[in-house]
Amino acid sequence: MLNRRYKLWATLAVLAAFHGAILFAGFFAPYGYSTQDRALPYAPPSQIHFVDRQGEFHLRPFVYGLKDDPENYGSYVEDDQQAYPLRLVVSGSPYRLAGTFALRTHLFGTDSPGRLFLLGTDGYGRDQFSRLLYGGQISLAAGWIAAGLSILFGGIIGSLAGFYGGWLDDVLMRGGELFLALPWLYLLFAVRAALPLEVAQWQVFLLLIAVIGLIGWARPARLIRGIVLSAKERNFVTAARALGASDAYLLRKHILPQTYGVMLTQMTLLVPQYILAEVTLTFLGLGVSEPMASWGTLLSSLQQYYVLVSYWWMFLPALLLIPVFLSYYAAADALQERVKSVAL
Amino acid sequence: MVPMRGLVPISLLVGFACMFPVQRAQGVQTKEERMVTGSAVGQPGGTITVAVRSDPKTLNPVLAVDESTREIIDCMNADLIHINRETQKTEPALAKSWSISRDGKIFILHLRRGLEFSDGQPFTADDVVFSFQVYLDEKIHSPQRDLLVVGGKPVSVKKIDELTVEFQLTEPYAAAERIFDGLAILPKHILETAYRNGTFSKLWGVSMPPNEFAGLGAFRLKEYVPGQRIVLERNPHYWKADRAGRRLPYIDQLVFLFVPSEDAQVIRFQAGDTDLLSRLSAENFAVLQREQTLRGYKLEDLGPGLEYNFLFFNLNNLTGKKLPEIERKQAWFEDTGFRQAVSAAIDRDGIVRLVYNGRATPLWSQVTPGNKLWVDSSLAAPPQSLDRARELLRTAHFSWNSTGDLLDARGRAVEFSILTSSSNAERSRIATLIQDDLTKLGMKVHVVSLDFSAMVDRLLNSFDYEAAVMGLASGDADPESEMNVWLSSGGTHLWNLTESKPATPWEAEIDRLMNQQQVTLDYKRRKHLYDQVQQIVAQELPLVCLASPHILVGAKNRVGNFHPAILAPYVLANVDELYVH
Amino acid sequence: MKFLGRRLANALLLLVGISILSFALLQWAPGSFFDSLRLDPRVSAQAVNGMRAEYGLDQPFMVRYARWIGSVLKGEMGFSLAYGASVGPLLWARAKNTLLLTTSATLLAWLLAVPIGIWSASAKGSLRDRICGIATSTLLTIPDLLLALMLLLLAVRTRWFPAGGMISVGAAHSGFWSGAADVARHLILPAFGLALATLPILVRHVRSAMIDALESPFIQAARGHGIPRSRLLFRYALPAASNPLISLAGFSIATMLSASVIIEVVLSWPGLGPLMVQAILARDAYVVIGVVMLSSVFLVIGNLVADVLLFVSDPRIRME
Repeated sequence: MLNRRYKLWATLAVLAAFHGAILFAGFFAPYGYSTQDRALPYAPPSQIHFVDRQGEFHLRPFVYGLKDDPENYGSYVEDDQQAYPLRLVVSGSPYRLAGTFALRTHLFGTDSPGRLFLLGTDGYGRDQFSRLLYGGQISLAAGWIAAGLSILFGGIIGSLAGFYGGWLDDVLMRGGELFLALPWLYLLFAVRAALPLEVAQWQVFLLLIAVIGLIGWARPARLIRGIVLSAKERNFVTAARALGASDAYLLRKHILPQTYGVMLTQMTLLVPQYILAEVTLTFLGLGVSEPMASWGTLLSSLQQYYVLVSYWWMFLPALLLIPVFLSYYAAADALQERVKSVAL
Repeated sequence: MVPMRGLVPISLLVGFACMFPVQRAQGVQTKEERMVTGSAVGQPGGTITVAVRSDPKTLNPVLAVDESTREIIDCMNADLIHINRETQKTEPALAKSWSISRDGKIFILHLRRGLEFSDGQPFTADDVVFSFQVYLDEKIHSPQRDLLVVGGKPVSVKKIDELTVEFQLTEPYAAAERIFDGLAILPKHILETAYRNGTFSKLWGVSMPPNEFAGLGAFRLKEYVPGQRIVLERNPHYWKADRAGRRLPYIDQLVFLFVPSEDAQVIRFQAGDTDLLSRLSAENFAVLQREQTLRGYKLEDLGPGLEYNFLFFNLNNLTGKKLPEIERKQAWFEDTGFRQAVSAAIDRDGIVRLVYNGRATPLWSQVTPGNKLWVDSSLAAPPQSLDRARELLRTAHFSWNSTGDLLDARGRAVEFSILTSSSNAERSRIATLIQDDLTKLGMKVHVVSLDFSAMVDRLLNSFDYEAAVMGLASGDADPESEMNVWLSSGGTHLWNLTESKPATPWEAEIDRLMNQQQVTLDYKRRKHLYDQVQQIVAQELPLVCLASPHILVGAKNRVGNFHPAILAPYVLANVDELYVH
Repeated sequence: MKFLGRRLANALLLLVGISILSFALLQWAPGSFFDSLRLDPRVSAQAVNGMRAEYGLDQPFMVRYARWIGSVLKGEMGFSLAYGASVGPLLWARAKNTLLLTTSATLLAWLLAVPIGIWSASAKGSLRDRICGIATSTLLTIPDLLLALMLLLLAVRTRWFPAGGMISVGAAHSGFWSGAADVARHLILPAFGLALATLPILVRHVRSAMIDALESPFIQAARGHGIPRSRLLFRYALPAASNPLISLAGFSIATMLSASVIIEVVLSWPGLGPLMVQAILARDAYVVIGVVMLSSVFLVIGNLVADVLLFVSDPRIRME
């Protein structure tokens, strides 16, 4: 028991750390998400040195500046004439912390014109690490909104259909099939195109993702209906019904608790899935517009063959996202077990 | 009767060092008058495989619209007068020679004798007359019809004898020879019945049986497999021969694979599945270049093509459109000083470097250096200058507030959006760079990327946009192909499609110059007129031209006679001369 | 029988509903097929309007819908503007290929998922269960598109597999068996990619259903009676876990035509995917509706199969 609780808290703590870094992206990111350095497109991650060319050891780590590789067009070599020490708590470009406080303080950085690119840069010379943090703000919001809407509507509709059965079940489930089959992309195209140009790009994107979430009720609804169907035939439910329990009571006390497990499994699967759905949206031209960053756009840059084969550091954001998603799954698994142990 | 006295024979051989009509067939009247090409003699046999984006939509040359379809159809058909893709000048094709009346209104084309369609049936003037009847038929809706309407009247076509056809225009037309390029001559003996029955537009769909097809091109249909490939085979009746007298084409088969994305095409080429590759991005070019020797292919950068990319502002008359916000912003967009400031602030070199990996040429007007005959090379090419941009804005009564935001004369912040198509990665990236450039001037710019159809809907129908990044690529180097862009009444006069008469004096001047060049037959005088158009565009900036991407191509080393061109169909420009080692 | 008849009637109604709503949705999307034509400087606005009228695009909604129903009855399923031909034949030619791909991929995915899920569930919380969980979660975090591209990269680098397509040009006429072998060689990569994309969800569901079954009182009781583990797993727990799995299987069938779009586009598999994507972007309306209707038919079949199986397997539902 203790072990289980410990596991839950541990994963929640990890998630809280991730979310904190993303919420306060401005502080943790050394640069803005749209700051271009046109001299350094597709620069590899900065190498952090302790020992300089003379073999001298420095307690404070430093990076070298980059210059074009004369032998290899489009790549860079370190310029050991320019060393820039890394510093903690530096003053840099202005930003708004969590969207409210205007600040210029960043957790770490290096002296200008030196650049510190932890994960390298993209084709515009923008710092991928900063974009990863800022991108999380949009992507996580999108994932939660969409998954929440799907589960909410799917849960309500699925349990109504399963519990009452009959014509209501028929109508709702056929409606669900209808929803699954329709060419929703057109709706997305239409919604996207109908929005006025003044609407901010991140709002457009969240709206599109919310629409996808709403449309997505049908799948969880089917699963939840299945659970409710068999749950209501359980002996203790029939017994409670015989004792005169109301529908609302039965649903709340006996039947819905049995669906929580499935709902949580679904939620855990859906949040990352909706975050990743943006990759497909980007593929069809419905993703977040430049210069905004989101995890979907970071991943979808890997779609391009030349990025895939030329710039290995463009994989790093994808690799760093795996632990985030994994901790989501882990937290949800732990929650699921907890719910179960309470329900039993 | 033809007014023979008015006819001036045109010297056809000037400028075509590599091609000349055969004169050997004298004496024998029925002997076929083949055309002899000048390139190296190759080996017969073998197959060449190319990838195209999608299935052909039809095999009917009259109805073909999209690029993949045209590319395939052009290998199966021939035209009367052809534009040499390398010299960009016209040269004889099915017509061995032609003459033009002094007033430029009457064309007499002399057809090659003894030619046969790919099914062995003879080719005569009747086929030519029939073909033009079909192209001009309004019920058929051929996209090429417009080219054949000069001065509001369709060309009239008349058969003089079996091998002579007369074309009459209502007014002189400078580019008249060029309209024949790409107009496939159809076999009357196969298509006439369907045409009379009114079922022509259903004819020659993609799944037609190969034996129902006949054309005058180098290849004929062998097999079509939906979603996978179309195989063409050598046309044994083709009318060109090499220097050694061997009938072209050399290869037995030409296979088009349908590969839906550029990256996949690049990969198939890299894997050795295809022999030729065109239309690849600069980044993929760099990727392929690294393995050039290892994998046995070569890549070529042919320099700028005809495509020009540009930024433009919505200058449409929006009265009654219920778009007050955009109407308000049009006060800035209509200000030439504002447009000049934007142009001065744009880092064109940055676009070339970051978007095209250096494989593009910056532009300040619409004609690219690839268009050797028509580019005005005396145009100024000022580098990015934020100082000059600020100066221009100040002169146009803009100012800055304490936080550096740009304000107009009435104190309102300058904020607008740039529309791009999400299906074009390069233009989206251009927009992102421009956005960043203009931010430095204190403008607030948003990039809005929509799918292509949604964007076009806004540009052409609703006019609900502020600025957009687009590109146009004419099919031909001649200024005539740009008429619809520059005439104020033109259908692709993108920045203002609502003009009933020119909205500004300089647009009136462009109208005058464009109309003038259309009827001017002398090249030097036409060039002078078109130079002036380019100067006005560079000065008034209805389109802020940015860059022209280079045409990048590749071929396996085993492909001989590989002479790609910057005009479509690029690597297939001389498909009848290609051979495999 | 009455149950089946009612379901069939339902299905038909559903298809009609889908078709009407698809028509309506297409109406909403901005832009039309002809707009991009208008951008070609060589084509005039009159020519475009002529084409619009010829294809009946200027007709009101109900007229177009009625015409479409008429052409569906004839097997034509409307007219593709891009191809200038009936939609039906366009679809049949490609649907076969998509079905070949998705059936093999679905079989492969289930063949892998059921044993992995059971294996993982039977030792819940153990190291192998955790590794399995991490592996499936990691797979989940890789978008289909990236997965397909990496497979393609593998093909190019190693040359073990063909880099896309369905059959080599030469192999098409070399006899049935060598042709089939060539198709199979081309099939490996896309089928594997598609199976990998669906695998994690299947494994998680199998595992979770099995765990639920294993923890239910009757299995606990059976365990108490000393029934051997393998018998417990396969004879008792698996049937008990089958309820959600049957729904899921129905769902696999239902999505058989639509799941492979991205894999097909990236690996140039000549199925419905590339056709669909092109048609959506070009606003070739009837092709899109055709593909939607075809996948709806599969959806209906999938659900029907699942319902019938549930009906047969779960006596509690049968009683209703």
